Amino acid sequence: MSFIKLMAKNPFRNRARLALSVIGIAIGIATIVALGMVTDGLKLSVEEQLKTGGADFVVVKNTTSESSSGSEAINEKRVDEISKMNGVKQAAGISTSGMTVNGDRLNLAGVNSKDLNMLGAKITQGKAFSADDKNELILGKLASDRLKKKVGDTVTLNGNKYTITGIFETGNVNLDSIGALPLKKLQKMDEEDGKVYMIYVKINSGQDLKTVSKSVEKAYPGELTSLASLEDYQKADNSLNMIETATMAISLLAIIVGGIGIINTMIMSVFERTREIGVLKSVGWKSRRILGMILGESIVLTLIAGMVGIILGFIGIEVIMNFSEIPIPLTFTPVLALKALGIAILVGIIGGLYPAIRASRLAPTEALRYE
Amino acid sequence: MNNENIVEINNLKKGFDKGRIKALNGIDLQIRKGEFVSIIGPSGSGKSTLLNMIGALDTADEGLIRVDGNDLSQKNDLSDFRSKKIGFIFQLHNLIPNLNVLENVTIPMYGNGYNSKQMSARAMKLLKYVKLQDKATRKPTELSGGERQRVAIARALANKPSIVLADEPTGSLDSKNGQMILKRLKELHEKENVTLIMVTHDMNVASMADRTIKVLDGKIQT
Repeated sequence: MSFIKLMAKNPFRNRARLALSVIGIAIGIATIVALGMVTDGLKLSVEEQLKTGGADFVVVKNTTSESSSGSEAINEKRVDEISKMNGVKQAAGISTSGMTVNGDRLNLAGVNSKDLNMLGAKITQGKAFSADDKNELILGKLASDRLKKKVGDTVTLNGNKYTITGIFETGNVNLDSIGALPLKKLQKMDEEDGKVYMIYVKINSGQDLKTVSKSVEKAYPGELTSLASLEDYQKADNSLNMIETATMAISLLAIIVGGIGIINTMIMSVFERTREIGVLKSVGWKSRRILGMILGESIVLTLIAGMVGIILGFIGIEVIMNFSEIPIPLTFTPVLALKALGIAILVGIIGGLYPAIRASRLAPTEALRYE
Repeated sequence: MNNENIVEINNLKKGFDKGRIKALNGIDLQIRKGEFVSIIGPSGSGKSTLLNMIGALDTADEGLIRVDGNDLSQKNDLSDFRSKKIGFIFQLHNLIPNLNVLENVTIPMYGNGYNSKQMSARAMKLLKYVKLQDKATRKPTELSGGERQRVAIARALANKPSIVLADEPTGSLDSKNGQMILKRLKELHEKENVTLIMVTHDMNVASMADRTIKVLDGKIQT
């Protein structure tokens, strides 16, 4: 039997203790995986949204600037101005809002019918709304499934009935969960005439995306900012950063709690096996081999916990999201799995080090006398 | 047995509890290669401490101790010496409970250049020697006390040691099993010419050796 096999065999001596230790660490790893899936999902969704449709970049209000009024709304005049700028092919003002429909929350996007192409929405049933003055609405596939509405049905928004003219799909969970209606109608509903929240910009072919997006920012210094990548988005919106920070904090907590658990488990194990360690020393095992064995056992234990945690986290968050009313896109990547296993190994090393050092330093005669 | 000394001890002293307890108080002893020596003495006389010092499990406070050409008082890490030169048999077999008999015998071989196959082959050979080859896959808990001690003998021989040290090897066995173990050890000494040093408090057991050394109050009685 190889040394690695010997190490892998030892944690299974006390199965009840192994199970409890594994569960303790697996919960921490599961939390890391679940939060990681949400964060990665949100990031991917943002990236998809930035890439979706005809828009090359999105312009939003610069809320981080000192000169900003604090409001996130942009004057609709800017849409026209930007559309006339060098290199810009099309600019579309988008307004957003949220309404309750049959007790379910529905996020809405207001967009002019001529700019529907900018959403990247592919109408799969019915047709898009054609006029900006009619009470018409198109629903994303996920929203129509959730609300159990089909083409021709009506929904009541702010006391007015809107007819569903079409169902669209973008492939993006967030966009497929919304409804889109004429911009003017949404502005009126929200009493925000002349205001938009985003401007989707399409550039002429052959133009450099960065140059055009920067020229928009330069034209409205401190007022507008352009989002062409995930990094831009994260600079403009702190929420993703906050989730990432929270994930990191929870990961750290999981490492500390898991590490303490492992120290406890491994110290118990070393304590119970004191005489055995004495025998190993008496047959000529070097201190570093004993250190390696205990540390290896600790890592085996946390690797098992890591794998259990990954499965638990994956299943857990999928189940939770099934019951959630807010659709949050989830992404599971090999990088996330490796990160979770890496954290598990780190917990194994941190938690196993002290018991391993203690075991390796046991004096053989004292260890052999241990009752 | 030849005339070459495998163990040379001069004025060996060892104390415990900051020197308040004098376990060994000036031991002088020579043991020849291939000799079977028994060390007897009452509890607390220092016989086990002496055995531990020969086996490099403990270090001397004073004096000289040379075993198979190695000056143990000059070495810091004695694990290599223990691994290559010494085979230990304890009163309690001290087998590892979650490993089977064969795996227990391979334990001393780790780090000595054997691969897994070689380790298993050598362990099986040793198990044949102690007539336990048919119990190779059994766990220690499935064996009788005598069988466990035979596994411990096989383990002690794993690295072809020059000296086998046995600390009360029959102490936890009934007389029948005890006799059987002694017979095995005697055979080992006679057929393999292994130097055997055995600690016991039983005069009958001690009488099987070529020479008996009596230890009292940390000194050898002449």
